[in-house]
Amino acid sequence: MLQQPNTIQGTEGRVLVVDDDGEILSLVAKFLRSNGFVVITARNGAEMKAQMLASQIDLVVLDIMLPGTNGLDLCRALRAESEVPVVMLTAKGDEIDRIVGLEVGADDYLPKPFNPRELLARIKAVLRRSRSPEGTSVHGTGRLMEFDGWQLDTLKRELVDSSGVVVDLSTGEYDLLLTFLEAPQRVLTREYLLDSTKNRTLDVFDRSIDVQVSRLRRKIEVRGELIKTVRGAGYLFTAAVRRK
Amino acid sequence: MSIRFDTLVARTTIVLILGIATVQIVGLQTYRASLSADLSEATERRLADRLLTIKRTLAGLPEELREDAAHDLSSGAIEAHWSKDERAVEADSVNPMWTDLQARLVELAPELGEDGLIIGEQGGQNPDPHVALISMRLTDGSWLNVSLLSWTPRVPGAPQTVMVVWLIAAVALATAILLVRWISRPLARFADAANGFYTTGKVAAVPEAGPYEVAVLARAFNDLQERLARSIEDRTQALAAVSHDLKTPITRLRLRAEEIENSPLARSIAHDLDDMERMIDQTLSYLRGDRSDEPLRPVDVVAILETVTDDLTDQGAAVSFTGPRTAVVPGRRLGLKRAFANLVGNAVKYGGTARVSVSEGGKNVFVEIEDDGGGIADADRDRVFLPFVRLESSRNNKTGGFGLGLTIALAVIDGHGGTLKLGESSTGGLRVSVSLPKQSG
Repeated sequence: MLQQPNTIQGTEGRVLVVDDDGEILSLVAKFLRSNGFVVITARNGAEMKAQMLASQIDLVVLDIMLPGTNGLDLCRALRAESEVPVVMLTAKGDEIDRIVGLEVGADDYLPKPFNPRELLARIKAVLRRSRSPEGTSVHGTGRLMEFDGWQLDTLKRELVDSSGVVVDLSTGEYDLLLTFLEAPQRVLTREYLLDSTKNRTLDVFDRSIDVQVSRLRRKIEVRGELIKTVRGAGYLFTAAVRRK
Repeated sequence: MSIRFDTLVARTTIVLILGIATVQIVGLQTYRASLSADLSEATERRLADRLLTIKRTLAGLPEELREDAAHDLSSGAIEAHWSKDERAVEADSVNPMWTDLQARLVELAPELGEDGLIIGEQGGQNPDPHVALISMRLTDGSWLNVSLLSWTPRVPGAPQTVMVVWLIAAVALATAILLVRWISRPLARFADAANGFYTTGKVAAVPEAGPYEVAVLARAFNDLQERLARSIEDRTQALAAVSHDLKTPITRLRLRAEEIENSPLARSIAHDLDDMERMIDQTLSYLRGDRSDEPLRPVDVVAILETVTDDLTDQGAAVSFTGPRTAVVPGRRLGLKRAFANLVGNAVKYGGTARVSVSEGGKNVFVEIEDDGGGIADADRDRVFLPFVRLESSRNNKTGGFGLGLTIALAVIDGHGGTLKLGESSTGGLRVSVSLPKQSG
């Protein structure tokens, strides 16, 4: 059984959850609290604005279907005045492509019905990205990450090669690649990688990080080695990464 | 171009040809018959008159002048002689024509037969069958012998008549073909519209023009299409709404399951929720067909299959994959992933194993998925593509699924311009062969 790191109340960050379904709202709040977050809730746009003003928020979980002003408009308005990361909950998975095209400024999208652990992983990943000090190893900001001719769209979760071919990644491979891209040219331990790509469903048992790494290599190492094994330490992503 | 005989044009042409030919033949026969009857009656009447004239003339002359007069009165087919005794011999096999003639002549001029009339052949050896000899006894017992050349009444002008009639027939036929084509052309539009409606699901209205009957049919056809589309739309929306609304309670259940401390229970609840979610996903994607918003882009099929097979391997399934490093086709990543996840997932579910292989050849990328299960009988291979059809007879009920996997896979592959075929694997299981074109369109 995996140990749950950092589950001390309130240490992970302050999250504002906006959903008009009272039950889901309280269930999500309870779940996130048990995973170390401080959770503030809102049922509509007005409540959301009030809460944003009242307290310091690290991340907003925003449902797309809201009475009055919908989630997309709220997100756009929020983005106009704040840098706070937003994870959107959408009704249909297939709508994501279209929503992404609207460029409302969300950092991630999750279709309903979502797996709570998936939501947790996404929240953590978005927070990690927003907190990583800029200018250290990854240049620029934006949803597109470029390396060795590849381009990863972190919103569509889509990898495209230099000739425009879409190369499919599994959830595990995507998470692993994103972890590497956020910390290029640094040795990452297996524990670190495992923590950031932790399995998100109950019934899929974990493959070792080594297997995940070899699968990712098979897909992206077309022109040469990108992920170097550092004996006794972990893995190192060798290519330079640019954000756009 | 192959000639079809069951088209409206062909049928009309055949009926017209048969009709015109029948009228022609019957008409011609009737025409000939009446014409020859008229002609022979006229000829016979003329013959009777002449014979009567010769007979009367000769009867009024002295004997020494009779032969000369007979000779003078001969002309054309008639050659008359006078003699003391009859020349005509009644042959054993009398030409029925002559007996007939005898009766007719007596009927037309009774005076001819008063003193005796013999129509027969010339006496002597080798009588000419075309020459009849008519012997008439005059009142004084001497005989007037008339040789008559046999004749057949010829029907004049028949070839021209036939030609004119055939010309009329040809013109009528050409007109009829044009007319039928003109009438039947709108009908082709009906077939096109019906096929279009079936494949795209979009109403394709037929122009409500043309002959009155066709316009009425077009109006009814358009109404029917619209009503069908509306009814399908209503049902689709109802099903989509139900599927969609189930997402909220499932989300709640997922969150509640997180609160259960008992791990095996939480696991089985999560498993049930996965099943429910899969059914909803399948239903919604079936209802949507391949009409997703995802545009066609170059997609690596190998990467998709690697993801699909790796996921199944992680779940403990025996799955193998062989193929080139990449195989690119214009496609929709999510659609293809769904299709292949269904196909490989089925192989694992029903066949225990899945051997996936990719190869490239010519203008296509081929994907083969083989399993070691019981396969699908030839007779069922078309049926399994129908929505909500499950072959439970040979398959375990516990394996889940509800009959949309293959339907969706086929719709996706179809939408990519590819083909999906079912066959038998080397171990007697099922082989699914997918072919995707490397160039779109």
